[in-house]
Amino acid sequence: MKFGKILAGTILLACTLSGCATVQPWQRDITARKSMQLGRHPHLAAARDHTYFSKEASAGGRGFDGGGCGCN
Amino acid sequence: MQLMSNRKPSIAAALCMITANLLTSTIAFAQNTNDGTDSAVPNSLPAIHNAYDEPAEELGTTSVDSAILYYKESNGRVQAIEPMVSITHTTKGGSIFSGKVTFDSLTGATPNGATPWSGTQTFVAPVKGGGEHGLTGASGTLVTNPVTGLKERQYTTSPNALPLDKAFRDSRIAVDLGYSRPIAANTKLNLGVNGSVEQDYRSLSGRLGIAQDLNNKTTTLSLGVNFEHDQSKPFHGIPIAFSQMSGTPAALNSRNKTVLSAVAGVTQVLTPNLLVQLNYSFGSSKGYHSDPYRLLSVLDPTTGAPLRYLYEGRPDKRTRHSVYGAAKLATGSFVTDLSARYYHDSWGINSYTVELSEHIPLFSKAYLEPHGRYYHQSKADFFTYYLPSTAALPSFASSDSRLDSFNAVTLGLSGGFELTPKLELYANAESYRQSKSGSLGVVPVGINNQKLYSGTNSISGLVGIKFKF
Repeated sequence: MKFGKILAGTILLACTLSGCATVQPWQRDITARKSMQLGRHPHLAAARDHTYFSKEASAGGRGFDGGGCGCN
Repeated sequence: MQLMSNRKPSIAAALCMITANLLTSTIAFAQNTNDGTDSAVPNSLPAIHNAYDEPAEELGTTSVDSAILYYKESNGRVQAIEPMVSITHTTKGGSIFSGKVTFDSLTGATPNGATPWSGTQTFVAPVKGGGEHGLTGASGTLVTNPVTGLKERQYTTSPNALPLDKAFRDSRIAVDLGYSRPIAANTKLNLGVNGSVEQDYRSLSGRLGIAQDLNNKTTTLSLGVNFEHDQSKPFHGIPIAFSQMSGTPAALNSRNKTVLSAVAGVTQVLTPNLLVQLNYSFGSSKGYHSDPYRLLSVLDPTTGAPLRYLYEGRPDKRTRHSVYGAAKLATGSFVTDLSARYYHDSWGINSYTVELSEHIPLFSKAYLEPHGRYYHQSKADFFTYYLPSTAALPSFASSDSRLDSFNAVTLGLSGGFELTPKLELYANAESYRQSKSGSLGVVPVGINNQKLYSGTNSISGLVGIKFKF
């Protein structure tokens, strides 16, 4: 099954990435920046997700499935 | 007759090149930082100090974030105005309390699901409140059915035009409350509730999640579950699947749907300037999935002439799977954000999504961020543009363009300006364009020159202000 292979590959990649990491706590200044935060503007992300949820069949990935909206 | 869509754009090739560039710069940077110097910035690039290079320190603060979205589809279709406001308080101990209120106001015309035809088409629908409040001119005329004596709404579609129902008008209010707290040195628990009310739809959900930091906080594992209960309650009741459209309300008032979903993810600081995230999400929904307003044309299989209009019917179950990956790479004060998602569901839809944005520092207190997204989906197993009058009714069928095969491209530009370290203005403008992908399938000769794909194009703008104290 195509999806199963992609999922297995993702898990393998996640384990590999974790194993390669050598970043020390004192090297975290860049990733601590405002510009490096995931989901820095939640209202903007929510507005985009709402548009995509109401116009496309897909859901989930970055967050939960569903959407609490009769628009889809 | 087989009709083919336009050739696929070469966006995939362009994105491959960008990805290769991203990986190349990452490897080059990793080599730079392994040379014994602890410099966080590649030697070849100057360090530009910008307000967005400051650490995102939130402990002991309260922030109020408000924004307003304007959304408009082309050809007089849906238009929405959506103000939203949230407040988040982070204690010095790391607990987070959050609340958000969103209000939607929607008007415009929406495709009713019927196919275009060379003649005028007339549709008869139940009327809200028994017709006591009249109708606006655009949404049709009020007529009395000579058999039932009920008042009905009648509207017409011009020859060769996509049938649109112009009575679409709705408002929605949604409230979200969240709470997160550390339960051990490197473990956080989060929970929340969300509720929304529309004129014909209600939703209530609750979520619970846990996040575990590992490897000196360079790795975060997360797991969350969400349970949602929705109720669809259109004013004309829930039509029976494949029943004929009429002005008589359905006997059944409402139907429910439940959605159980889960997301498992890992976020990894891979190098001092590179974050990656991988998620797997699963969703299982049961109950009413149909659109109670959406029709299907029953056509003469040769001429394409519409003979009658039936309400659609979808399966009562759906299972979804998604794999999502994202990377954020800092190069000086620039940040490249790349993400991709693969999606599959039990209705036979597969999709992939690729997004790319570039954070560009501007002077000392601002930034610009161009943004692009490419989306492709295949159609649902039961998607059809019409039902042939000579064939038996299928188990499920829908002509909803959201279940069709199509491509979508988003292009946008956002930006922010930190007036002070505690006050930020931000804005975004973008366009979203859908186009048919793949074959239209077998189409009656009489309508093979009609535009059957009913996807949409839209523009949107958002402005926001965030205040921290």
